[in-house]
Amino acid sequence: MTTQLKAKTDQQEPSTKALPLTIQSSARQESPHSKQSYVQIAFFMVVIAALAVLWTVTFRLIDNEVASARKNAANAVSTLILTYEAQVVRAIREIDQSLNVVKRGYELTPGQAILALAEDSGLLLPDFLFLTNVTDANGNITSSTRSFEKANIADQSYFQEQLEFDHLAVSSPWQDPYNKAWKLTFSRRINTPSGTFAGIVFTSVDASYFVSGYEVAQFGQHGVLGILGTDGVFRTRRSGETITSGELADYALLVPDSDEVEDQEVRLLTNSWDQVKRYTLATKLYDVPLAVILGLSEEEQLAASAQLRQLYLQRAAGASIIILMLAAVMFSLSRQLQRSRQRIMDEQFTHAKQVEHLAYHDSLTGLPNRSLFSELLRQGIAESKRYDRRFALLFLDLDRFKIINDTLGHDVGDELLIEVAKRLSDTLRETDTVARLGGDEFVVLLPEMNDEKQLSEVARKILSTVGEPFHLSGQDLRITVSIGISAFPLDGEDEQTLVKNADIAMYHAKEGGKNNFSFYSEELNTDSLERLALESSLRLALEREEFTLFYQEKYNLSSKEVTGAEALLRWKHPTLGLVLPMQFLPLAEETGLIIPIGKWVIETACRQAIDWLEQGLPPRCISVNLTARQFSDAHLIGDIARILQTTGLDPVQLELEISENILLSDFDKNIEVLTRIKALGVRIAIDNFGTSYTSLSTLEQFQFDSLKIDGSVIRDVTKEPENRHLTEAIISVGRAMAVTIVAEGVETQEQAEFLLASSCDQVQGFYYDKPSPIKKPQ
Amino acid sequence: MNYKKHPKRMIRATLLAICFAVASAHSDVVVVVSASSPVTELSKNQISKIFLGKSRRFPDGSRAVPLNQSEGNSARDAFYMQVSGKSPSQVKAHWTKLIFTGRGQPPKEAANGDAVKDLLANNGVNIGYIDQAAVDDSVKIVAIK
Repeated sequence: MTTQLKAKTDQQEPSTKALPLTIQSSARQESPHSKQSYVQIAFFMVVIAALAVLWTVTFRLIDNEVASARKNAANAVSTLILTYEAQVVRAIREIDQSLNVVKRGYELTPGQAILALAEDSGLLLPDFLFLTNVTDANGNITSSTRSFEKANIADQSYFQEQLEFDHLAVSSPWQDPYNKAWKLTFSRRINTPSGTFAGIVFTSVDASYFVSGYEVAQFGQHGVLGILGTDGVFRTRRSGETITSGELADYALLVPDSDEVEDQEVRLLTNSWDQVKRYTLATKLYDVPLAVILGLSEEEQLAASAQLRQLYLQRAAGASIIILMLAAVMFSLSRQLQRSRQRIMDEQFTHAKQVEHLAYHDSLTGLPNRSLFSELLRQGIAESKRYDRRFALLFLDLDRFKIINDTLGHDVGDELLIEVAKRLSDTLRETDTVARLGGDEFVVLLPEMNDEKQLSEVARKILSTVGEPFHLSGQDLRITVSIGISAFPLDGEDEQTLVKNADIAMYHAKEGGKNNFSFYSEELNTDSLERLALESSLRLALEREEFTLFYQEKYNLSSKEVTGAEALLRWKHPTLGLVLPMQFLPLAEETGLIIPIGKWVIETACRQAIDWLEQGLPPRCISVNLTARQFSDAHLIGDIARILQTTGLDPVQLELEISENILLSDFDKNIEVLTRIKALGVRIAIDNFGTSYTSLSTLEQFQFDSLKIDGSVIRDVTKEPENRHLTEAIISVGRAMAVTIVAEGVETQEQAEFLLASSCDQVQGFYYDKPSPIKKPQ
Repeated sequence: MNYKKHPKRMIRATLLAICFAVASAHSDVVVVVSASSPVTELSKNQISKIFLGKSRRFPDGSRAVPLNQSEGNSARDAFYMQVSGKSPSQVKAHWTKLIFTGRGQPPKEAANGDAVKDLLANNGVNIGYIDQAAVDDSVKIVAIK
């Protein structure tokens, strides 16, 4: 994540140096992420817990339902069997009673038609269910409750049984040959008065009679109700509407010995006769070899709970689906929330990056600004200290940039800065850092480098790159740069010292003629300290009125009269004493202090001229020098006009001296300025003539009144033929152009004689007059 | 009326007669009580209840003792079918269950319609059924609502 972001940033800002202050993104990016995953895990656990609880409760409920259904079924069986047992016992007793009535009747009154009598008396059971017969000792049926055929039942087992015993006998089930119905026969023995066997009375009844109490509503379709003989033969058995007789079953299994088992338990058995699983209970009847059996089908008894179970499962499944859907919805909502949070964070991050970029980069050139450079430098120092490395710091200042800015406008100045920044970045290595400190100041950090030869190479490369012409706003521009170089750790071990020393070296380069580079050294530092002191006191000099004007007179060679005087600026420094212009003027020019100082000079000179007039001296012309800075000052014309007005000096008595080389720097514009000055009525002199090889055709285009031959030309005029010829040529040209020729720096009689011979108009120099504060009228 | 001249009318009359005969074959069993009984009319349901052992009283609260004709008698089967819609075997199953569970005893049986009439004459609480043809002054037909 972090590297990706970095890579992205790099792509967006290819020109930007890798930021040491990149916002620490990793922590901010990762911690919410891991927090989120914890939340997600917790969320899943809650969902799983909810599902677990739901299903546990569901299965618990189902278990309870089933258990209670089983218990109910068992209870029902044990209750129902009591009723069934009572019914069977009563039915058998009724049968036995009717048999006993007949038996006793025959025993008490042998030979009588007892059976018919008993039936008529209502002592017998209803004849549509029960058929009662009486036999003689041989088994021949002697009377019946129905019309009957003669028959002998001596071979029947119950007849045989009665021969031996005198008790109620129950037959095995037998099938009626006429209607195929299963029957049971109950019989009793009839005795003769002497106690011998006289025959039997027996009643036959449909076996189904004993299971007629089966209610489907109570027992279901697969319950069982039946009577089982101790011989293991079902006398009758009913399940639903199906009634059977005669099957065999495991009596011992179904009817545990009641001697051993006190209270019989309802058992869940798979009944052998139809393989149905039932809650089964059987009870042995008293006095007869029969047992009643009752069972309820497990499947039927649990049907309700099975249905309930189905319902519970469906509901639980439904609830699970709802929980999962809710969870899915909540999960997706939380994801969306997280994403939007992430987006906001990304936006904030991007925004922070932008703010950071703005804070640490120069908005014009996109280069690191002073703050970032300072940070980079600090880091560079720290790293170099740790790994014992070296690096160098280059301090760059564009020469004459202020002039370009003032004359061509800020837009061109800005374009130039951008272009310079680009050239610097292109020229230097990837690992080097270029920063703009403000204005026209740039710094370059060169890591792993402090060899003087290498550094000189780099500096020269920069000089030549910047020196290439710029094509901006439709015009070609040339600019130069001055470079100061300081090296770590030799020239300083902290940020401030390194920058300050590079700055000092840069000033040295400037003083050395600009378009140059200079290494820092201890001596430079001393010079620079002086310079710094000078600058600060220069700022105060005007206020403290430390400036004064010296005047040097000009003589007319032919008339030997004073024609005028040149005003010369002097600075009476409280501690340094008298400071010459060459020592402070470059500084004043550079700092712009020359503008107020220059104004003061013109005004003071004008007042002096007025003063002279008031003293009764003949009108003489006062000359004042203009520097390059002054000449390009937009307010120059206005200032001169105002001074002339306030002092009341005739403009003709003011002469402005402009150095030849200044005029040549921006030809068209200078012609315009000169024209405007001339329009004020002020005289113009071209100063330091003869040093710049101005062509005569060029000179002709300027409007000027006098030409001052530079002192350096005059100095050797008597020794060097070249200078003599030059002087003669200038004088003749001046004559041709009808301007006054003034020779400066005349120091010897020979020079004066030569000039007189050459028809020079005026002279100025030590030979005639040393500059002095105020000239007394002669 | 000359049937030879109107054969269609004759056929119609014959068909009508057959219809009556069939109808009378179903309705020739009537419910009767003693001539002296106050009972004059009963619903099928009330009769059915008395004969199936579900009720022992007439609607007026007096005791009711039903009399059956013996099994296999056609009047008996017709009667039960008419009042309760039960077949002979269903009636038998009904009583089997009632007897076995001890909830009742089947009505006393008389051998035939005449025996029923005799018993009715002797006892005002009895109620029975006989062929319509056998009705005489000793008994009163109970109107069926």
